[in-house]
Amino acid sequence: MPWVAAAVGLAAAVLAACGDPKGTSLPAAPSITVGTRLAADQTLLRALDAMPRTLDPSLLTDVDAQKVTDDLFEGLTTLGIDGAIVPGVAKSWQVSTDGKEWVFHLRPDARWSNGEPVTAADFIYAWQREVDPKTGAEYAQALAPIVGALDIATGHAPLSSLGADAPDPLTVRVALNSPTPYLLALLADSYMQPLPRATIERWGDDWTRPEHWVSNGPFVVKEEVIGDRITLAKNPSYWDAANVRPTRVIYFPVETLTQVSRFMAGDIQFSSIFPSSQFKWLRSQLGNQVVVGPYLGIQQLVVNMLGPPFGMNRDLRLALNLALDRRILAGKVREGIQEPAFSLIPPLEGYQQQVPPWATWSDERRHAEARRLYAAAGYSAAHKLRVQLDYPTGEDNRDVYDAIAAMWRTNLGAEVEPYNEEFRVLLQNLRLHKAVLFQNSWIGDYPDPFTFMQLFQTGFDQNFGGYSDPTFDGLLAQAAAEPDPARRMEFFEQAERRLNEDGVSIPVMYYASRHLVKPYVKGWQLNIQDRIVSKYMYVLEHEGR
Amino acid sequence: MLRFLGGRLLIAIPTMLVIATLAFALLHATPGGPFDSAKVMPPAIQHSIEAKYHLDEPLWRQYLRYLNDLAHGDLGPSFQYRNTSVNELIRTGFPVDAVVGSLALATAMLVGGIVGTVAALRRNDWWDHVPMFFAVLGISIPVFVTGPLLILVFAVQLHWLPSGDWRGGEIRYLLLPVTALALPYTAYIARMVRGAAIEVFTSPFIRTARAKGLPTRVVVLRHALRPVLIPVVSFLGPAFASVLTGSIIIESVFGLPGIGRYFLTGAINRDYTLVVGITVLYGALIISFNLLADLCYGWLDPRVRLQS
Repeated sequence: MPWVAAAVGLAAAVLAACGDPKGTSLPAAPSITVGTRLAADQTLLRALDAMPRTLDPSLLTDVDAQKVTDDLFEGLTTLGIDGAIVPGVAKSWQVSTDGKEWVFHLRPDARWSNGEPVTAADFIYAWQREVDPKTGAEYAQALAPIVGALDIATGHAPLSSLGADAPDPLTVRVALNSPTPYLLALLADSYMQPLPRATIERWGDDWTRPEHWVSNGPFVVKEEVIGDRITLAKNPSYWDAANVRPTRVIYFPVETLTQVSRFMAGDIQFSSIFPSSQFKWLRSQLGNQVVVGPYLGIQQLVVNMLGPPFGMNRDLRLALNLALDRRILAGKVREGIQEPAFSLIPPLEGYQQQVPPWATWSDERRHAEARRLYAAAGYSAAHKLRVQLDYPTGEDNRDVYDAIAAMWRTNLGAEVEPYNEEFRVLLQNLRLHKAVLFQNSWIGDYPDPFTFMQLFQTGFDQNFGGYSDPTFDGLLAQAAAEPDPARRMEFFEQAERRLNEDGVSIPVMYYASRHLVKPYVKGWQLNIQDRIVSKYMYVLEHEGR
Repeated sequence: MLRFLGGRLLIAIPTMLVIATLAFALLHATPGGPFDSAKVMPPAIQHSIEAKYHLDEPLWRQYLRYLNDLAHGDLGPSFQYRNTSVNELIRTGFPVDAVVGSLALATAMLVGGIVGTVAALRRNDWWDHVPMFFAVLGISIPVFVTGPLLILVFAVQLHWLPSGDWRGGEIRYLLLPVTALALPYTAYIARMVRGAAIEVFTSPFIRTARAKGLPTRVVVLRHALRPVLIPVVSFLGPAFASVLTGSIIIESVFGLPGIGRYFLTGAINRDYTLVVGITVLYGALIISFNLLADLCYGWLDPRVRLQS
């Protein structure tokens, strides 16, 4: 009999899949009843987009590795349940009036998983290791705000010249090149977390293997199978272990679609993502288990300023900017997952977004102005703008770029051809400034406007459009030297207005974090950096999966 | 026979060399390197990474170094997974594909063989039309549809089986991926066996066997089976090599830690050693299985004589 049921089920599924591409007629997965008490089994089943390339905090470069090390290590500061920066190994700190000298006081009860105390020297060791060219840390420049860091990373200065020292085992002093309000956020990042020197020196590269593993965070690595799983166990030596409820966290590195099926079968409780094209269907199946929130990232197109057709033609750049119907892209194509972007910087606390005036115009007025600019730029129905829009393969963005091309065709008569290239191929073209119009999306490294602004700074490596404006660069320099946080933000606001006027960037949408979460998994909040640590999470009693 | 084997093995060496060389050259010719990212690193750091992986040496020296290591059975360090060797990745990933792949092909041979033979015996009957209809479906519906469908029904709706994962090859975790992988092969083999069987059944030696009054069972098993298997064997050689090096789709749908997924992410991330290593392994398997298939011909068809 079960086989009959199975055959019927399969047939129903096939029919549903054929007749209705979104599969909305499928029966919903069995419902879940959630209790109020803690479940006996406090194992968290989480997913990652891909297998981390390494779990060494100095060497990791991918978001997936960072998510895991957020559970494994704790910096001077760390992440709160809402993603805000809270004291970590440092219990307090002072900053000098010019904003350049910081002193951190460490908590005496911080321990490594092998029982050794966490000392100031462990931080100095980790930071020196990060900037030491011999380590080969790809993100060594993240420490650039610290005095001497760049000179060491470029091989021009000895390790000892780093502006950080440990006057005693419980004190860390940091000297900065300029006031850096986001230092506290940097300190929570993987490349500034402390490292177990003795273990690393004893085992070399092998220190990240589970059998040698030592870390100072809420969890330690128990098992690592490439392409299959990373299992973490609670670290009993962690100073706040009494408040950590998960006994195990298993991370499964599986593809986006596989995450959905595993989640629906109850084999994953917290997905790292879901395909945005399935948003409506997932909502219909899973209701409020589908969660979406703002993410510190901008999906934008950038034009090449070094040659035709966009260099020296501001009217054309603005015409493309104005002719884009971002509310349709966000509301219809992305079904409301993402928010429309009219300027570069995503919503950030303490920063006033500089939305250009035309963002609030009616569609007719905006389109008319776009057409006027297009004509003023020297283009017409007889002389159409014809360019290729380059974007990387792999992200489900085809629909967005097709829609954008259609908008420019309808609203201006321009012929823009979306063209996807493998990421590394595109990157090479961008570095050679071959691409004329391209996706240059950016995820902020820390919650501060500068991480986005630098994309248009003269001489910055990822300034692929070759934009160079003395006024803009001057504003960034003024912001960098400004100790008053509010005035610093004002300089950034002026700089963003400058970008808007120049139309060098075509912001499209702000990114969104998107997860599938079982209703019985609690103790988490969405946050703009999408760093949701397992430390605060717990599992409630439940029936059904 | 031995001369045949020896001759084939001798040819295998230059073939492997060509495979390794081509894979090495093509991969290094692809734009972008293993440590390219959106962020640009200072030259001192870049140099230190390149020195670690010998990427700072001229290409011909890297090639000779690679061949030398290869001759010693060392496929080198993986570029994308730090502190992990390609040998290690293949050692952990290959058993996954070997188990799933051989179970799937064994199932496909058994089921496909029986269905195909029955269909040929009952030509133009319901026993022929219905299975062949499903066989066409099985061939034409891709694995990335059947895999998720199986998960939807058996894991999501019925909760009978897990939706994926490996767990050291526990039988519960094997059922769905093996079924999904076996379906198209079963269908293909069924159609192939049917075609071959129809041809064999109408050939004079079978007519003679029937004329002698032998029962169908004996005619099929003793006289028809071996010639029917000839096209199947030539299909199975490369098929085995292919499933053993991993079905990328099956692995990603079920989240299995097999070398197919390593290969795919390796290609995207320009993990030179991993991709060349798996290509070389694939080449070696194809050569071995083709050789095995050729040996089988000699057993299956008395007209074939193995000579080098």
